[in-house]
Amino acid sequence: MSALAYYLEDEGLPTVAISLIRVQTEKVGNPRSLWVPFELGRPLGPPNDAAFQKQVIASALGLLNQAPGPVLLEDYPRDDPTSAGIEGWRPPFDLAAGDIDLANHAELQSALADEWRAVAPSYARFIAANRRTTFGISGLDIEACGAYLAAYLAVEAPTNPIPAVSPAQAVRWAADDVKAYYLEAMAAGPGIPSSRQVQEWFWDRTLAARTIIALRKRLMASEDARTQALGRMSLVPGVQALRLGLT
Amino acid sequence: MVRLTDLPPATQTGMRNLDCPSFERKPFVSGPALEKRRVAVVTSAGLVTRGERPFVSSDTDYRVLPANTPADRLLMTHVSVNFDRTGFQRDVNVVYPLDRLREMAADGAIGSVADTHYSFMGASDPRGMEANARSVAGRLKADRVDGVLLTPV
Repeated sequence: MSALAYYLEDEGLPTVAISLIRVQTEKVGNPRSLWVPFELGRPLGPPNDAAFQKQVIASALGLLNQAPGPVLLEDYPRDDPTSAGIEGWRPPFDLAAGDIDLANHAELQSALADEWRAVAPSYARFIAANRRTTFGISGLDIEACGAYLAAYLAVEAPTNPIPAVSPAQAVRWAADDVKAYYLEAMAAGPGIPSSRQVQEWFWDRTLAARTIIALRKRLMASEDARTQALGRMSLVPGVQALRLGLT
Repeated sequence: MVRLTDLPPATQTGMRNLDCPSFERKPFVSGPALEKRRVAVVTSAGLVTRGERPFVSSDTDYRVLPANTPADRLLMTHVSVNFDRTGFQRDVNVVYPLDRLREMAADGAIGSVADTHYSFMGASDPRGMEANARSVAGRLKADRVDGVLLTPV
């Protein structure tokens, strides 16, 4: 981000970059940056808090009118007020506990479909409330995502539903959509849970997450280096892999 | 919460020691008062318009985001899984704050909002993005932009 700002400024455009990783901004030394204490992925802070977001933007853009640098790097003083989450939070749906054999294709596909059905009403409420979804990277519907992920675990060479990319990349995008579907459904209830709360619930409690973790292991066992890398880095967040003791 | 300090030690070390470009020349462009500036967003969040090719690893190109693109057409396709996406899922402005900029323009805090905005995918080596960034600069100048807000994830 900082280097992009530099290139734009070098072309004659006044820039200000929000920084989430201060040490990287310090290294690049682009003209103007506002470091914010928010978590990665939230450069403007809390969702649906227009006043807070505008204060962050005003602080950042305010650097445009400060005296010449050559480098201005300021720290934003306020943290995201929603970062602590909600005590006792739980998602607005229940999932059946079950000991599913992930190697049994038919059993896994059926159990995943049961799980989607339990999650679906909350997902629909999320869309109705927000008038948007981030589901859709794969171009598949949720059933097709689940079918492909289950097949990849159980079938030697399942048909790739996204022929334009490698089978492993298709796994990545199908997994992305599954995660979006669940995380949005989990956000359909009142209040704003922390990202840690929703992530830990997803990775600890859902069959979808168990499936994705098994796919991580499957991809990492590949002889193809790109497939290995997709498995290691692109399915399970590092903080969750560490917490769950995944190797 | 996923702050830098929450990440696995190896990931933290990788981010801290990332080989970032540094520059001897220090451009610093002035401009009019903020109330008169035309502001654009350039993000490294890997945003695409629904139906466009998602970003993949090592991509250094960019996507054009017309300001009138409805929020429900935007997808985040950054390759990293090591940052929060739930904020963006709830509110696009967490990453791409066009609604906030429009409100600030209406309030007179900034002059106007650009017609077009841009997205890169920040996990790639920024040195590979230089030519594309300079191309974006030309487009921004053609749109009379004189204030660029850059947002990472």
